[in-house]
Amino acid sequence: MAKPEDMEELAAEFALGSLPPVERREAEALMASDPAFAEMVKAWERRLIPLALALEPVEPPPRIRGAVMKAIAGDAAGSETVVAWKRKASAWRLATLGASAIAASLAAFIVLGTPKGPLTDQRYVAVLQAEGPGPAFLASIDLASGSISVRTVGAPPQPGKSYELWAVGAGRDKPQSLGVIDASFRIPASTLGKIDPAALNDTLFAVSLEPEGGSPTGQATGPVMFTGKLVATE
Amino acid sequence: MNSFSEPIERELDGLLSLVADGDKRAFGRLYDLTSGKLFAVVRCVLKKPELAEEALQEAFIKVWQRAGSYEAGSLRPTAWLAAIARNQAIDLKRRFSERMADRAEELEAADSVPVMPEADVAMDLSRLKKCLKLLPEERQDMVLLAYYQGWTRDELAAQYKRPATTIKTLLRQSLTVLKDCLDG
Repeated sequence: MAKPEDMEELAAEFALGSLPPVERREAEALMASDPAFAEMVKAWERRLIPLALALEPVEPPPRIRGAVMKAIAGDAAGSETVVAWKRKASAWRLATLGASAIAASLAAFIVLGTPKGPLTDQRYVAVLQAEGPGPAFLASIDLASGSISVRTVGAPPQPGKSYELWAVGAGRDKPQSLGVIDASFRIPASTLGKIDPAALNDTLFAVSLEPEGGSPTGQATGPVMFTGKLVATE
Repeated sequence: MNSFSEPIERELDGLLSLVADGDKRAFGRLYDLTSGKLFAVVRCVLKKPELAEEALQEAFIKVWQRAGSYEAGSLRPTAWLAAIARNQAIDLKRRFSERMADRAEELEAADSVPVMPEADVAMDLSRLKKCLKLLPEERQDMVLLAYYQGWTRDELAAQYKRPATTIKTLLRQSLTVLKDCLDG
């Protein structure tokens, strides 16, 4: 069982700017889906911003102003794009809908959101959470390097039990085990190879609670604790 | 001018609500008032001029798009704007360095440890500086390198010849010290 990520420290490091790319994207995913985490980040930005504001102004080349004004010229009103931004935020919330509505069985599977196109060489994050406060796990997929990593953020340790990650739906006749989530959880490219990239955005990721070491049967035997879908991060 | 005065903060506050309604003239004024400061912020993170300019441009487009989500009273306007610019610059730096097989060039371009700003006209700056000085000098440098230049743990690890996990622990301890000092 990995040590749960301290949310306050993650927020602090995000605001500081020291997070490596994957963790930074995960933190951005959390900000969009977890208002409490977004507040922590804001508080940290407030604490540190005097440093940024202390810098002497530097005049940018005049053409930047023209480029910016041109870029927004097509927008009749700022609110239009604000709607798009809010839509993005609500897509996040949709993607992190709780698991309890899905019932305690992986067989009962609900497709969340609308399938977009096939995924390409992008990077994706799923925030896995139960209904209730706070996310439990963050799953990041990097299609370029072909790896999935999972970080524990809020899931409580379960002595004598293991959390196991599953991929559900998108043409699978039954849930596919992606492995037991432990301290160094990283799914090798060979496993991801079995996942059709074109179907990734229809895939629901779910975490079940299993006997220590994972499901003995190859199918989920314990309750589904957390679910989430992938959302592109750039 | 090292920090924005209250009248300017108030003007920016008003401008942001006009921008939220799609007022392009207000947006132009906002640009004129803040672009120098925001350019300074992104230039620290991105040494390459063309990347810094791209970050500034993207940051202002985000400001236009998100002005409606600015809540007065939660962050002051300059702080909100600077945070958008910093995040834009750091994202661009991460995207850029991820795609570079060899990051040496960029690391080389990053100059030495930034100097803590001397001017402390703003009360909150002098307070933050006082809190930073509670940290051993090396950790102050790490915090400043991460904040001003967006250095990741791995980049700091290479610079200070320590494992990245150690850097993570040091940074988090340092941030806890800062928080206790600032909030206490």
